[in-house]
Amino acid sequence: MAKKKNKQVIRPWCWYCEREFEDEKVLMQHQKAKHFKCNLCPRRLNTAGGLAVHIQQVHKLEPESLPRIENALPGRDGYEVEIFGMEGIPAPDVADYKRRKEIELGLTPGSISQPPAKRAKTENKALTEDELLAQLAAHKALMGQNEPAPASGDASSSSAVYGAPAQAYAAPPAPAASPPIPPPGFFGAGSPMQGMPGQPPFPPFGGMQPMGGMMPPISGMSPPPPGMMGPPGGFPPGGYPPNGFPPPGAFPPFGPGGPMTPGFPPGMRPPFPPPPFAPGGGPPVPPSFVPASASPGNVPSASPSAQMPPSQPQTPLQSAAPPTIAVLTIPVPALAQINPEFKKPTALKYSEPNFSPEEVRSTDAQYQVGAGDENKKKRARAEDYL
Amino acid sequence: MAEQSTLASPPYDTISSLHFSPTTPNHLLVSSWDATVRLYDTATTEQTQVQKSKFDHRAAVLDCCFSADGKLAYSAGLDNTVRAMDLTSEKLSNLGLHNQAVSSILYSQSTNSVVTGSWDRSLKVWDPRTNASHSTYNTRERVYHLASPSSTSPSTISTGQGSNAHMIVVAQASRLFDIYDLRKMDKPVYERESSLKFMTRSLACMANGDGFAIGSVEGRIAVEYFDPNSATQEKKYAFKCHRQAIDNVDHVWPVNALAFHPIYNTFASGGSDGALSVWDHEVKKRLRQYPKYSSPISALSFNVDGSKLAVAVGYTWDDGKDGASKAEQPAIFIRDVGDGVKPKGWA
Repeated sequence: MAKKKNKQVIRPWCWYCEREFEDEKVLMQHQKAKHFKCNLCPRRLNTAGGLAVHIQQVHKLEPESLPRIENALPGRDGYEVEIFGMEGIPAPDVADYKRRKEIELGLTPGSISQPPAKRAKTENKALTEDELLAQLAAHKALMGQNEPAPASGDASSSSAVYGAPAQAYAAPPAPAASPPIPPPGFFGAGSPMQGMPGQPPFPPFGGMQPMGGMMPPISGMSPPPPGMMGPPGGFPPGGYPPNGFPPPGAFPPFGPGGPMTPGFPPGMRPPFPPPPFAPGGGPPVPPSFVPASASPGNVPSASPSAQMPPSQPQTPLQSAAPPTIAVLTIPVPALAQINPEFKKPTALKYSEPNFSPEEVRSTDAQYQVGAGDENKKKRARAEDYL
Repeated sequence: MAEQSTLASPPYDTISSLHFSPTTPNHLLVSSWDATVRLYDTATTEQTQVQKSKFDHRAAVLDCCFSADGKLAYSAGLDNTVRAMDLTSEKLSNLGLHNQAVSSILYSQSTNSVVTGSWDRSLKVWDPRTNASHSTYNTRERVYHLASPSSTSPSTISTGQGSNAHMIVVAQASRLFDIYDLRKMDKPVYERESSLKFMTRSLACMANGDGFAIGSVEGRIAVEYFDPNSATQEKKYAFKCHRQAIDNVDHVWPVNALAFHPIYNTFASGGSDGALSVWDHEVKKRLRQYPKYSSPISALSFNVDGSKLAVAVGYTWDDGKDGASKAEQPAIFIRDVGDGVKPKGWA
């Protein structure tokens, strides 16, 4: 949990597509594979210039008919700039990228470029209410959602304890004094707050308290517990059928997939591998699921989590039980197909006889109709910040 | 000049279908799993290639087609909805709904109607001029693909070649085929079963309207004819392709895409192995094999004058979700086909 020290140091990123990488080696591999690949032969080059020379000399193309750099953002698909990993990126682009990154992380301008020692100081200082509000606004804009503004009293009361949302996103905050939480009985014993310290102040804690009783059921029902969501703008709570929730206070004995430890604290690492509730009996199809109701506004209980910056490392829980909605059935059983046997050893690349790849694909959570809007939002991010 | 160019700013997810405009040789309509339909101008130099318009949908788009004049387009998608798109004003409007995902859509130039096929086991015929008027016809199985000679080559109608311009081939699950006449849709003209033993993966009609070709998931293509008389039916045949023997094991890929050349009546096939071949079905020979693409070919389309072939490359879900993470970004290549697709001895 407390491993993401490097967060504020800018990570290597690719100038062509603005993707971030763990280290420069991976970045170079990425550039070779995605941007400096010759599309006329399997050759991969190290730089754009290398690719240009290769195409001109090996494939005898005139300089003016060179293909653009592949997979590059508009305007960055040319050969003029010689990029090698992080080297050669034009200074204005670096500055621009840093600025955007700061906005995205909700950091105060300039903090990324500061040396690490100073940064720690900035972190620990309690932010003023104005700063907090500004960050909240920026964060909301980023999330592209319009949650109701939190009561200012809440924000101020918890800010002293918790530090800025940015910190929660960027680095694990200093251990905080025990905040007001639902009775420990609702959470697994031992680590009452493991999922919580990362929570930003603005999804007002006070506001969440009444729903405290509901939190454990959420984490049990839906694969990614709040606070473990992907990047900002990632899956808003819309993915969870709001109507599938038990009423607040109610305590379902079983998760959808079968019995499980009640009150799995959000964000807590399970003591055992995640699958306990994934397999079981069939996909969890909440009976009252209505895709249309999947908009964040309709999910009061979960909406604070949408504002939460992802403070927790993602665990396999995320993928443990995707909300499978459609199930393929053969409409005319009499017509069901069985692939005939092969006379000689054969590797058939698509061996499902009754459903086309498209049908199988359509059942994937990513392509659910309700999920479409969120997907779009997610995708739009790269371009939005150009 | 390069024989092939890469289209700039392709969709983010697999391309479900692409079609060149029936009127403007450079205009390419592309539908994708990223829930968009995009219109590109695939001009000769890459610098002038532009995405002309983009239509956001609520869910993945499975198919699209142009209207006869190339000014409108229609889309079919996973959200059960059939939509009309005005390509100049970028306006999107709903034509209507199926009960399940709409897998295929087709504009018939012979009757000026839009035909859709869905996994809800029905066909619907729409009159695009009057919104929401349509008629529904139940099919035996889930509709996978639709094809009609009139959408392969608009000239089939103007030259009055044959009566097959009104025919629609409906490829369905469970290897079924129904052939309908658009003028009397109440029941199929022919009910057939695929001569291939595996699931139908692709379908295209000949430019001269005599027949059609189908591809299966098991690397095989069959060439079939409409005319039911035995002499013509004798001519139908099937052959193996898109496969490779590695260590005595036959690796067999689905044939994802077929497209007939509008003039020469030869056809191109694209498979999950990334191979692109051009076949002359009259002499049963392969005319041309292009260097393999690094990802599966998901869709193919010749343009109206037959000078270009658009090749959509991207992951086609053959390995389910697992393959999706390893898959390369989708891409669209525009090939200048030249004489490579001309049958030998073409006058």
